[in-house]
Amino acid sequence: MYDTLLFLHLLAAFLLAVTVVTYTAVALGAQTSGRTLFVADRCWDVGGLGTLVLGIWLALNLDQYEIWDGWILGAIALWLVATGLGVRSRIGAEDVSAERAPLMHWLRTVAIVGLLVLMFWKPGA
Amino acid sequence: MTLLAAIRPDDWNLPLFLHVLGAMTLVGSLVLVVLSLASARGGDSAAGLRLGYRALLLGAIPAWIVMRVGAQWIASKEGLDDLDEPPAWVDIGFVTSEPTLLLLIVATVCAGIAARRAGEGRRAFGGLNTAALVLVAITLAAYVLAIWAMSTKPS
Repeated sequence: MYDTLLFLHLLAAFLLAVTVVTYTAVALGAQTSGRTLFVADRCWDVGGLGTLVLGIWLALNLDQYEIWDGWILGAIALWLVATGLGVRSRIGAEDVSAERAPLMHWLRTVAIVGLLVLMFWKPGA
Repeated sequence: MTLLAAIRPDDWNLPLFLHVLGAMTLVGSLVLVVLSLASARGGDSAAGLRLGYRALLLGAIPAWIVMRVGAQWIASKEGLDDLDEPPAWVDIGFVTSEPTLLLLIVATVCAGIAARRAGEGRRAFGGLNTAALVLVAITLAAYVLAIWAMSTKPS
């Protein structure tokens, strides 16, 4: 059970990487097709939901972790920040100007790397 | 194994972090390559080919190096590189990572030549684009297998 959950949790995290890499290319000036951005946005949706649900499931599945552990609460908070920034990074997002979308993307990228750091160092665990 | 995976010595964290960060960037870059090269087949040829080529050259290959260095570092920390018969999941990792570098280099060359031809307005790039696309798709399939092996650690 743990192995399967971890595999699916990792796959979801890799989907987030697809979005981050694609939007990094856009932020650096690459021309992408609408279909590429559509797939990147769907990867963000599925990967975001997958990492959260499967991550919480993993924490509940292991006796040595509790859902209220500091690093898990921190990860959930960072996930919420990354999700909010991700919505504002989308090309053509209604409430964000074209100039600010790259900034939102870079902040989102920092949040994702921060999440990854929390997953490996697990401060307080 | 579950407990070992969940609780590990602190000095394993950095190499494992680098390994996974490199792998995530690698897979993200390769999916971008597939989408870009596929869009080049659909009509947006020059821009799609250029992005696919650059994602391979500036994204996938450097990320492969970070992933592979991280893998060797963590294998050394865990003492896995000294074993006469390493576990199957380690073998799967090596078998899927090293040959795919060659595939990535060939795909980069194909995509680069195709992008140059498309930029010059020549139309003879379809075969090179397809070749790069197929090589990258094979590589991606191998990496999904590697992710499964790394996370489930079959003996």
